[in-house]
Amino acid sequence: MKPAEGLVPGSFRDPSGFLFWNQGQLYRQVNGAYQEHYDQLIASGLYRELQAEGLLVGHEECDLKLARDRAAYKIIRPALVPFISYPYEWCFSQLKDAALLTLGIQKKALEYGMSLKDASAYNVQFVHGRPLLIDTLSFEKYPEGRPWVAYRQFCQHFLAPLALMACRDVRLNQLSCLYVDGVPLDLASSLLPARTRFKFSLLSHIHLHARSQKRYADKPVRSKQRPMSRFALLALLNSLENAVNKLHWQPRGSEWAEYYDHTNYSDQALEVKVKLVADSLERLRPRDVWDIGANTGVFSRLASARGIPTVSLDIDAAAVEKNYRQCRRDNEKCLLPLVGDVTNPSPGIGWENRERMSLLQRGPVDTILALALVHHLAISNNLPLGKIADFFSRLCRDLILEFIPKSDSQVQRLLATRDDIFPDYHAAGLEKEFLPYFAIERREAIAGSERILYVMRSKVRSGG
Amino acid sequence: MNFFKSVIRMSMLAAACCLLFPLRAYAYIDPGTGSYIFQIIIAAFVALSFAVKVYWLKIKKFLGRLFAKKEK
Repeated sequence: MKPAEGLVPGSFRDPSGFLFWNQGQLYRQVNGAYQEHYDQLIASGLYRELQAEGLLVGHEECDLKLARDRAAYKIIRPALVPFISYPYEWCFSQLKDAALLTLGIQKKALEYGMSLKDASAYNVQFVHGRPLLIDTLSFEKYPEGRPWVAYRQFCQHFLAPLALMACRDVRLNQLSCLYVDGVPLDLASSLLPARTRFKFSLLSHIHLHARSQKRYADKPVRSKQRPMSRFALLALLNSLENAVNKLHWQPRGSEWAEYYDHTNYSDQALEVKVKLVADSLERLRPRDVWDIGANTGVFSRLASARGIPTVSLDIDAAAVEKNYRQCRRDNEKCLLPLVGDVTNPSPGIGWENRERMSLLQRGPVDTILALALVHHLAISNNLPLGKIADFFSRLCRDLILEFIPKSDSQVQRLLATRDDIFPDYHAAGLEKEFLPYFAIERREAIAGSERILYVMRSKVRSGG
Repeated sequence: MNFFKSVIRMSMLAAACCLLFPLRAYAYIDPGTGSYIFQIIIAAFVALSFAVKVYWLKIKKFLGRLFAKKEK
């Protein structure tokens, strides 16, 4: 997250408080309206326990003089999340882990007489490789007998997209980008295959739930009945947990997830490339790295293994799924695999297009790795080299770029079914187009291949 | 066994309640009337199987005793 000033645009819906930046520090104002709930969160020991288990973001209480207005009860400074990501950028297992985290926290909260008052996927972030609840104000005192007010939101933010990914198509996670408060259940119900009606968990929490929403859509509400026991609530949470746990998706059969099985790299060339990238990272010593077109994160790990927070971005959900599973298995703390298309990056969405940041708003970054990427941008997407250079020069200080010439079989494959309308696609053409935006600091042929590795410094970001 | 009777009774009561009374949830996010009512109904159903799961050991013991008595 990049320091700024003023209110955080995505933090205005909850009257309990809001986030704001002050002199490069992120603070959260806790309003008086939330006092009794905040006090219980702390006094009950729930905060301490969730903290100890690494489930909730930590914070420290600060001087009330920092308050933005008179409604303030406390000012707290939450630990910073290195990179904010959104559910439509997560692979299947990331969304599933975030869902299970939310349910686990809700069950724990009930033990302490509290309950989650929202179950937004945006309240979860990946920090040190694990999901973490970042909204300290999500808890409220649990009035005995009250149903879970966040049940609808949980189904829309987690269960519906997970079911669609597992049972229909993993790319349907992108629906979360269209619907900022989660996938409407009637839409999920109509998109899910008929066989999901024979699974009790999906029949109930999605299909019948959607029907119930439709039935009661225009019914007035009057009474104050609280007819749901704590036991029934626990049973509901258990049922949701089972529903999530029963959803599976295996990353198989995509072109990219098996990329390294089919690549034309010789062992020698791959070794040289690894050494060149590692040397460059040692020399540049970036504070953060984005690896764009990262596939399963082989080269991202050259950065993350050096303790550099690294975003490993790829368009292919299967590759990202493999990447995340490796992160989880090896307990990798500095790597964040995400699904994203650099030719159509995540837009700013929500109110005024500012509630959730675009990918570019979450930059700039010290170093970008663009390895074996430019031919896809230039040839598959008809992007002029000058535009690619302009884009990267605004997004990073240093660029480590691998150029693959036309003679390479990977590029030949792209040109096999179309006219070659790229007369300037060659190393000299690339350098000519990049020079207005970058200073080329290193140019190394990758021995054992026809490829070239460049290290460039942005003239825009370095003020050069 | 009293416990199970009470669970069934409570579940039926809960289901009846939600059919009889419209509800209001005091929450800053809209829980949605349909979602609110539906979760009470579905919770009543899943409470039964949840009770079996939670009290499985007790059930096993109870059944064990029941059959032991019959054998006598």
